[in-house]
Amino acid sequence: MTSIRALTGACAAVLASLCGFVAPGEAQTYPTRSITMIVPFAAGGPTDVVARIVTSHMAQTLGQSIIIENVVGAGGTTATARAARAANDGYTLITGHMGTHAASVPLYPKLAYHPEKDFEPIALLAGTPILILARKDFPPKDLKEFVAYVKANAEKVNAAHAGVGSVSHVSCELLHSILDVKPVGVPFNGTGPAMNALVAGQVDYMCDQIVNAVPQINAGTIKAYAIATPERNPSLPNVPTTAEAGLPAFQAQAWNAMFAPKGTSPVILASLNAAAVKALDDETVKKRLLELGSVIPGLAERTPEALAMLVKSEIAKWTPVLKPAS
Amino acid sequence: MDLFANLAHGFAVAFSPINLLMCLIGALVGTLVGVLPGIGTIATVAMLLPITFGLPPVGALIMLAGIYYGAQYGGSTTSILVNIPGEATSVVTAIDGHQMAKQGRAGPALAIAAIGSFFAGCVATVLIAVLGAPLTKLALAFGPAEYFSLMVLGLIFAVVLAKGSVLKAIAMIVFGLLLSMVGSDIETGASRMAFNIPELADGLGFATVAMGVFGFAEIIRNLDAGAEMNRDLVQQKITGLMPTKKDLIDSTPAILRGTVLGSILGILPGGGAVIASFAAYTLEKKLARNPSRFGRGAIEGVAAPESANNAAAQTSFIPLLTLGIPPNAVMALMVGAMTIHGIVPGPQVMQKQPDLVWGMIASMWIGNLMLIIINLPLVGIWVRLLRVPYRLMFPSIVIFCAIGIYSVNNAPVDVILAGVFGLVGYWLIKHDFEPAPLLLGMVLGPLMEENLRRALLISRGDWTVFLTRPLSAVLLAIAAFLLILTVLPFLRAKRDEVFTESEN
Amino acid sequence: MADTMGHSAATATRNTSVALGFCLLALAPQIFEFIWSIGTIFGWGAGRGPATVLISHATALVAGAPVALIGSIGGDTKKASSDVLLALIYSYPLFAVAILTIFMTIRSAQDYVGGIVLMALALFALWASSDLQGMRGFSFGAGTAPRMFGGLLVALGAGIALTGLLSSGPAMAHYSWRGPLFVMASIVFFALAIRPLGVVVSAFVSFLIAAMGTHETRWIETVIVGACLTLGCALLFPYVLGLPMPMFPRFLAQ
Repeated sequence: MTSIRALTGACAAVLASLCGFVAPGEAQTYPTRSITMIVPFAAGGPTDVVARIVTSHMAQTLGQSIIIENVVGAGGTTATARAARAANDGYTLITGHMGTHAASVPLYPKLAYHPEKDFEPIALLAGTPILILARKDFPPKDLKEFVAYVKANAEKVNAAHAGVGSVSHVSCELLHSILDVKPVGVPFNGTGPAMNALVAGQVDYMCDQIVNAVPQINAGTIKAYAIATPERNPSLPNVPTTAEAGLPAFQAQAWNAMFAPKGTSPVILASLNAAAVKALDDETVKKRLLELGSVIPGLAERTPEALAMLVKSEIAKWTPVLKPAS
Repeated sequence: MDLFANLAHGFAVAFSPINLLMCLIGALVGTLVGVLPGIGTIATVAMLLPITFGLPPVGALIMLAGIYYGAQYGGSTTSILVNIPGEATSVVTAIDGHQMAKQGRAGPALAIAAIGSFFAGCVATVLIAVLGAPLTKLALAFGPAEYFSLMVLGLIFAVVLAKGSVLKAIAMIVFGLLLSMVGSDIETGASRMAFNIPELADGLGFATVAMGVFGFAEIIRNLDAGAEMNRDLVQQKITGLMPTKKDLIDSTPAILRGTVLGSILGILPGGGAVIASFAAYTLEKKLARNPSRFGRGAIEGVAAPESANNAAAQTSFIPLLTLGIPPNAVMALMVGAMTIHGIVPGPQVMQKQPDLVWGMIASMWIGNLMLIIINLPLVGIWVRLLRVPYRLMFPSIVIFCAIGIYSVNNAPVDVILAGVFGLVGYWLIKHDFEPAPLLLGMVLGPLMEENLRRALLISRGDWTVFLTRPLSAVLLAIAAFLLILTVLPFLRAKRDEVFTESEN
Repeated sequence: MADTMGHSAATATRNTSVALGFCLLALAPQIFEFIWSIGTIFGWGAGRGPATVLISHATALVAGAPVALIGSIGGDTKKASSDVLLALIYSYPLFAVAILTIFMTIRSAQDYVGGIVLMALALFALWASSDLQGMRGFSFGAGTAPRMFGGLLVALGAGIALTGLLSSGPAMAHYSWRGPLFVMASIVFFALAIRPLGVVVSAFVSFLIAAMGTHETRWIETVIVGACLTLGCALLFPYVLGLPMPMFPRFLAQ
């Protein structure tokens, strides 16, 4: 009996969503069961950590648990495609990043989704600054010398990256397009092996997210030339910004943001956005994110509209850089 | 005597009730995960990460480390009992271990695996504590060229593994290499032989292929008409549970050598630990007075690789603890666990987090002790499981494998692929091809190709780097020497065969 | 004398069936795509429709490939379509092998057939990687390694087949159908059912399907053990190990 009622209920819900109409009562009671948050990367990675920190607080606000499902593959595009096809009932969400929701467009010609057309933006969660790093005995002393050296020795230098489509790969491609050079890129399987090669001096330089680089820089096993954000980062006060060091054109941040499948009811999106914004204001959440070297978005950047604009501008930014590379 | 002060501090941390409990939970979960076919350590550690958020960081890491090396103990169990290796490191154990089980000696095989693992674990823990920092140099000395040469050596090991025709073994390795090419190209990201199937975009999973060609294929083969006799034999013949004196004498040198090899190879991030177990097996087979016993239930063939893989599992913590760089996917997850707690590991983690580092090192020894105490009594239970009638056992294995494979990526396609590889494995058995070299080829293939390409990119296409870098040259020389040793008797046998035929 | 006659006659029939088997193998990818394409009529899966598949493969096999072959000899470098390449790289060599097989004395069918099938797999891999880029300067490109290993496996397969011709060995082993059929059915059912139906239903039904794989099964016992196992799995995987998987059918859970 209950099953039949549940079945009719489910049918009604499907019908309602097909018509693009959700009964107001239903949306107001959202969420009535646990929410699945797809993370398109391995547990423990930068995106996963951000998603876990924010969703653990959001779950308290929403009064339902949020289950993280890590789906790995093809630079996160497998999982993102799955999220795009998921039911748009607000119970399947995704924490994407700059790769899955911007750089993937030029990188994968056969992408099974489009970041703008298949998703409803919810909120920007965090930005992770990108650094220009080099092995400790790499000749140039500062960013100006680095630029001159790489330009002069483009045939000789090697840039390590963590695999095609990774943050370290696409951000270095941006740097190379600004410098108008094409040095050899040495691919590794993830940031760990790439960092190992840099520490061991097997490769010359790489562009990477701040998280794992800070302790290596502080210990002097590698050196950092600049941070590609408008402001210096509190965890690395001595590293100049690219603007200060003479390369203002190189601005890059790995950002993480929350999306829902296209057609999710506006009421649900609003309550998810409110919960995310509230989480970002929480002191413990803030502290944990800052410990990771992340930049917490300001109030104006947390709206769905701002995120939609960000996705649009990021796609426009990466397309010319990555198109010739693929 | 800084070392003793540090160790004493470590034991003080590790012996706190909460950390002891965490260590025990880790060891138990690790054993469970190792025993269940399909579910890998990576998947489990990933699943358990959120639980560790609420724990103090030291306890959390002690538990995660326990899962990691506990799985090495448990992994041998399924390899020996039902011929299903759950991880690349236990493929080799399945070869002789399952043969021993078929001869009614599952008990001694399981027990020697546990004893070897315990010994290796203890030695490796001491090694981490005493020589961790200097050994880090080895991890940094290995560049792409050295890894390529190491992988070439690994492929030669895979040839030596074979008990039948060398030609067929090489064909299986190449088949494995070819399977490993499926997925995305590392340098260009181009999709290779993936036929637009999204689940194939990152290649075939090891668990998928291993469950297929070992697990499902073995089941299908056992269901063949006429195979009942063979199966019943396994169930009837069970003799002693514990190794005899002769077993212990035979396996002692094997355990020692396996421990040394495993400890050294484990330090190398990115693939060293994978080849530890079959390097140890190859060494035993080459040193044995009667190599033909291998593949037919030689106890050294279980003792050496099991010691090696556990030693490697322990020493693979060295790059993490001294450099702050995770050498494999499980360690990367542990770094994730640390970052969530606000500890970002780096080269100074030993000075900055003495509680964490020395507590973990001490807990490894305690964990190994717990594991042997857990595992030795379990031997009796596992062996009793073999008495379950096969008509009930095989559907259960099918279900466990299916759930296990599904849980790796939450992908139903993986389960179907494993089934397809089951049929492939059945066909391989019928044509007398061995699955072990295939799996090793599959594991080593990407490591070899990627490092070859990295080395050539860095050297700008200069192939001589493999010979001009001393470490790489030495590894290649060993590989060439082993290859000659392996192929010569084969050629001689072929010649003899030709002669005997012409006489007829 | 009569004995030898009878023996050779037996080999002759055997060889014809082996050759026919190879012909079937040579067309296996085409047949597979055709069967797959039938699904598109009902809207399952993506890909070309059955009529297109049939026509394009038939023209590729009968006309396209010979033309491309002659063209390439004449120095015409026009890029051939994937269907034509499949016929050229995969099907034609296997047809050649099948024809040769009729005239061979097979001493060990196990080795001979094993070697040829490995060769077929390698040829298929060569076709599958034919669209990938090869060496560019010192950069390896995506296609070099698969082509290298594919070529090597063709040679090794041929070598194994050759030993099957030169030295005597075991004949083809006997295959049974019951075990593989039901074990596969059980696996496929599990894969299809786990998402919509959850662990409980899919594990239990898969257990029963797998149990059909042997005639030794006693049903009452099997159902009891299956139920216990399902309960165990339902507690172990989602709860003890915390793996995210649905427990019950989706329509009941809501």
